[in-house]
Amino acid sequence: MVVGEFGKEVDVLVIGAGPGGYVAAIRAAQLGKKVTIVEKDKLGGVCLNVGCIPSKALISAAHKYELMNDDQGMGITAENVTVDFAKVQEWKQGVVQKLTGGVETLLKGNNVEIIQGEAIFVSEDEVRVNRGYESERLKFNHCIIATGSRPVELKPFPFGGRIISSTEALALKEIPKSMVVIGGGYIGIELGQTFAKFGTKVTILEGENQILPTFEKQVAQLVQKNLKRLNVNVVKNAMAQSAEQDENSVTVTYKVKDKEETITADYLLVTVGRKPNTDELGLDMAGVKVNERGLIEVDEQCRTSNERIFAIGDVVAGPALAHKASYEGKIAAEVIAGEPSAVDYKVIPAVVFSDPEIATVGLTEAEAKEEGYEVSVGKFPFAANGRALSVNATDGFVKVVANKENGVILGAQVVGMEASNLIAELGLAIEMGATLEDVALTIHAHPTLGEMTMEAAEVALGQPIHMVK
Amino acid sequence: SGVPLAVPSVRRLARELKVDLREVAGTGKHGRITEEDVRRYAQAREQL
Repeated sequence: MVVGEFGKEVDVLVIGAGPGGYVAAIRAAQLGKKVTIVEKDKLGGVCLNVGCIPSKALISAAHKYELMNDDQGMGITAENVTVDFAKVQEWKQGVVQKLTGGVETLLKGNNVEIIQGEAIFVSEDEVRVNRGYESERLKFNHCIIATGSRPVELKPFPFGGRIISSTEALALKEIPKSMVVIGGGYIGIELGQTFAKFGTKVTILEGENQILPTFEKQVAQLVQKNLKRLNVNVVKNAMAQSAEQDENSVTVTYKVKDKEETITADYLLVTVGRKPNTDELGLDMAGVKVNERGLIEVDEQCRTSNERIFAIGDVVAGPALAHKASYEGKIAAEVIAGEPSAVDYKVIPAVVFSDPEIATVGLTEAEAKEEGYEVSVGKFPFAANGRALSVNATDGFVKVVANKENGVILGAQVVGMEASNLIAELGLAIEMGATLEDVALTIHAHPTLGEMTMEAAEVALGQPIHMVK
Repeated sequence: SGVPLAVPSVRRLARELKVDLREVAGTGKHGRITEEDVRRYAQAREQL
């Protein structure tokens, strides 16, 4: 069937139903717009289907299994603890389905029209949506591009068979006996550590001289220590060269300095980064400018070089994080609805769900100094916090970095249990322009991990209670 | 750095009232710009 020449007219067209796209669609609908969302795969996008949610589900299952096998000195022992990995996967999939079902309910509840298909621009105000053998044309007043990203594929390691990306790693049917991970960034560490906890013999090949190279050394070291405990082999300064696979295994060749090594494993997981899905969208037809890295150029209102088209999330510059995409989604929708919104955040928190967890927001000590600040720094260890001791999680610290001149908090790094939740307070503190004193004078409940934020501020002010200077 | 101190809701208000925060003298601690400061600036501008 050729549906043709006359495009159906839609008001706001959102391409992609990930955390950026579906939030944009809902906010636009809230503001009275008639919205159509096009998704080629599944609602919820990468985050809900093959990213944030399934990875965190697997991480928590692995952690539970690890704890059951570890007395931890608390006097609790278990025997014959087993993992039914098929059930683990089923449970994980159930979590994913609940959430993606929730997204569908929210979209429908906001009267957003959902179209399944792949959208490609054919002009400055029109897309063709392909769905199998059918296609239709949609003419839009405004459009929001939220097509996300995909794993980077390295030439010597094409995905397929035993060479897998994060997507396949999350969907493995059984626990591999062994796995090599290329890339010690947050995805490689999260997945590598998770499988190590399930019993996989994991080797991580990292090109830099530390894992998690975008984080401070002290931070990475705590994760490194835990990886060692899990018998993960971390090879730094390793340059992966090639891989050969047969039906049952894959052999990876890598170089450390000039020495060539090989290693054979069940799977090779390649997690060296993600690239924006902007190459098959017909952006040139739409007059939308893309930079040399494939990222769409936008102004502070998320508007592209075509004034009726907006872009958000992983297809634009900035960290490829779900919460950034959602934030931008709301901005784009509000601008389309005539509000004077703009991207205006001081900081975006970033979290690694490693063990221990890592969470950072704002400037590190080194970055603050580079920007010319004289800094006050306060660091408080988990080992001196009552709650951390009572949950047997004494590895880690809370560190705050402030402007020495006026005490205004510039950044924070948290490593340890619940770092992912602890960072929220510090993000708010920075957005509010809070000082060390503001945080130190705020009563934090006892006994909680959150008290460490207050104490780190007190350390920076030179008057900690639970630490001798 | 040159970014004025103002909480997110005040930054949003400034955009709504088309006020450039860099031109507003904050009356709060450490020169924080308050909601009042933004409204006062917008009003004064209108009277010009």
